[in-house]
Amino acid sequence: MKKILILLRAHLTVFAADRVAVLLTFVIPVIMISLFGAIFGGSGRSQSSGIPLAFLNLSDAPVSRSIEGILDTLRTFRLIRTMKDENGKQVVFDTSSIQEFVKSGDAPAALVIPADAYTDTSIGFKICFYYDPRNEIEMQIVQGMLQKTIMEQIPQVFMESLNRRAKKALGPELSTAFNADIRKSVRQYFPGTTFDADTVRDGTGGMKPGDTSALAGADSSSVANGMGKMFREIVDFRSTQLVGAEIANPNATRSVGGWAMMFLLFTLSGVANALIDERRNAVFMRMLAAPFSRAHILASRYVFGTVLGTIQLVVMFIMGMLLFNVDILSNAGNLLLVIILSAAAATGFGMLIAAFSRTMAQASALGMLLILAMSAVGGAWFPTSIMPPYIQVLSKFSLVYWSISGFLSVLWAGATFVEILPILGVLTGIAAVVIGVSLWKFSRTNIL
Amino acid sequence: MISLTNVTKRYAAITALDDVSLEVSRGELYGLLGPNGAGKTTLMSLLVGHKHPDAGTITIGGVPMTSRNLDLRGEIGYVPQQIALYDELNAQENLSIFGSYYSLSGSLLRARIDEALEAVQLGDRRKDKVKAYSGGMKRRLNLAAALLHHPKVLLCDEPTVGVDPQSRNAIFDFLESLNAAGMTVVYTTHYMEEVERLCSRIGIIDHGRMIAEGTLNELLRLLPYEETISMRRNDATEANRSAFERFGVIREVNDAFELRPGKNVKMSDVIAAVEDWGIEYADIEWRKPTLEAVFLYKTGRSMRD
Repeated sequence: MKKILILLRAHLTVFAADRVAVLLTFVIPVIMISLFGAIFGGSGRSQSSGIPLAFLNLSDAPVSRSIEGILDTLRTFRLIRTMKDENGKQVVFDTSSIQEFVKSGDAPAALVIPADAYTDTSIGFKICFYYDPRNEIEMQIVQGMLQKTIMEQIPQVFMESLNRRAKKALGPELSTAFNADIRKSVRQYFPGTTFDADTVRDGTGGMKPGDTSALAGADSSSVANGMGKMFREIVDFRSTQLVGAEIANPNATRSVGGWAMMFLLFTLSGVANALIDERRNAVFMRMLAAPFSRAHILASRYVFGTVLGTIQLVVMFIMGMLLFNVDILSNAGNLLLVIILSAAAATGFGMLIAAFSRTMAQASALGMLLILAMSAVGGAWFPTSIMPPYIQVLSKFSLVYWSISGFLSVLWAGATFVEILPILGVLTGIAAVVIGVSLWKFSRTNIL
Repeated sequence: MISLTNVTKRYAAITALDDVSLEVSRGELYGLLGPNGAGKTTLMSLLVGHKHPDAGTITIGGVPMTSRNLDLRGEIGYVPQQIALYDELNAQENLSIFGSYYSLSGSLLRARIDEALEAVQLGDRRKDKVKAYSGGMKRRLNLAAALLHHPKVLLCDEPTVGVDPQSRNAIFDFLESLNAAGMTVVYTTHYMEEVERLCSRIGIIDHGRMIAEGTLNELLRLLPYEETISMRRNDATEANRSAFERFGVIREVNDAFELRPGKNVKMSDVIAAVEDWGIEYADIEWRKPTLEAVFLYKTGRSMRD
């Protein structure tokens, strides 16, 4: 035991000697926990700004207005009703422009309540849903919340419809008498039952939107399922996938970019470690004694990292194609551009880690922090739209966010060179800034 | 060939080199001797261009050493104190990489690698990974890597640290042959016997200051005595201890008396006195002064304190 304690003391002494590494060891979990807490609103102080949902209501039916009102109050969605036209002027959507809005990636989905969504002659409700499922989690949230919202309105729609038809078929007097008889029969067999005069009169039997209490006594889940099934049959929910419908393997196509970026960052963190190792084993000294400037050495490292990263990404995408049927060939040129610039920017981060770290332990800890933080904030694991607004702003500074956007634009939406130009520009900008900072740091550091 | 004029280098509050000046002639094998932390490696870093002086100038072949003067580095071979090799590569691969640093390629590079490996007696181990080498073999390869481009100046920063005597002698022989072929060599060490064997001129450095410089004989002449006579303590030497004091300074060292005769004392007088007083020759040891004594005399400290 004493011998173990002696060795333990030695381990602790060595560990404590690298104070920066010690600090990072404890700071990283705190930062990551805070980050995840912020992403999911766990702190209670932050709320998501909502998933953007393009919305167009062409119906003047009360139930349409009711649905619109409810969607407006939901924090899950941020309803967008206008877009900029060619002149930069805000214009209200029409049935065509709202679909273009989704196709261009400005919103993952659009909901259109058509003019004939609900008529006196119809028994159900018609709604049009256009979507681009490039982000699966986001789309599941959108569809789930929309179904819930609409289904909650259906009892009211259905009962109103039946009541109106009954009145039309029986006439006002007979209809009133019919309701009175029902009330009388219920009281006879279920003594003590009370009725709200208004609800009896309107024929809904007291059912309010989202209220299943009228069916009390039955198992609540079976009631909900049963009602859901019934209501689904009377809601004409017309879904149209605008983007990616032809993609053979949507799941793999969606996720390959995010995972590829995360592994790329891990690899380039290794490149940073190699640079620190080189400094430690004095080969760097020999390089600097040769006719090379520091700039030559760093540039060669940078190009090496970029080439290595590019090859790694290309191999990952090829494996994605061979194993998961991800189509990388139909837009290969643009994909290669995104790959090269992503690798270049990621290498910049590797150099940044090397510039700010004095030991391998520091580099590993700093690398871990950057990789996990950028992956989480950048949307590699969860859609950024479900994150609080300030995290969404932060995500725009993340390499992962822009790389994933680039990969999805190319692979999912088949974007052209012109369409991905802004993304390529941002990736270039990130690479330039990160490399600039790392070169500045190297120039001020005694690297021997 | 190499000239340092009033060079000062500081690291925050520490002055690593303090107003150092020295000249190394073409074809000279110059030794820089000093204890650990004296400033030897800092001086080498300035010569190779890794660092730049806070004051003073450095020229090599009349050309100022600056960070922008990359061509000048092509004239220099540098053997760092640490082993600067890729452990996972073999000797040939290492030398191929380091040779390419100086734009060597193709048959010329292959010839230079063969030449360097033969010179450091590693030709038969060229395909072995460096991680399998002994410390001495790594040191020899470390030296070979600095010579591929046939530099005019070779800077060796303690190249024999941790080396076995056999490898050390191999390195010495090789350096002497290079110097004989006209290469200017600057060699730093804290082993005085190394500079005594190798170097035509020696600079002694301590706490960043050059405290003495010259040939071995010039440095030894700085001492106020030329030899040390050590006499084992016995009845004869004890009885005549005070009589010896007329020849110079005498002090007790463990179980002996140590006499350092003054500059004007004739050794024949000392020998005659020894015979007269009946002291056995076997109890006497005559020692020539060393650079250690020079260091002690100039600093009041031993080199290894």
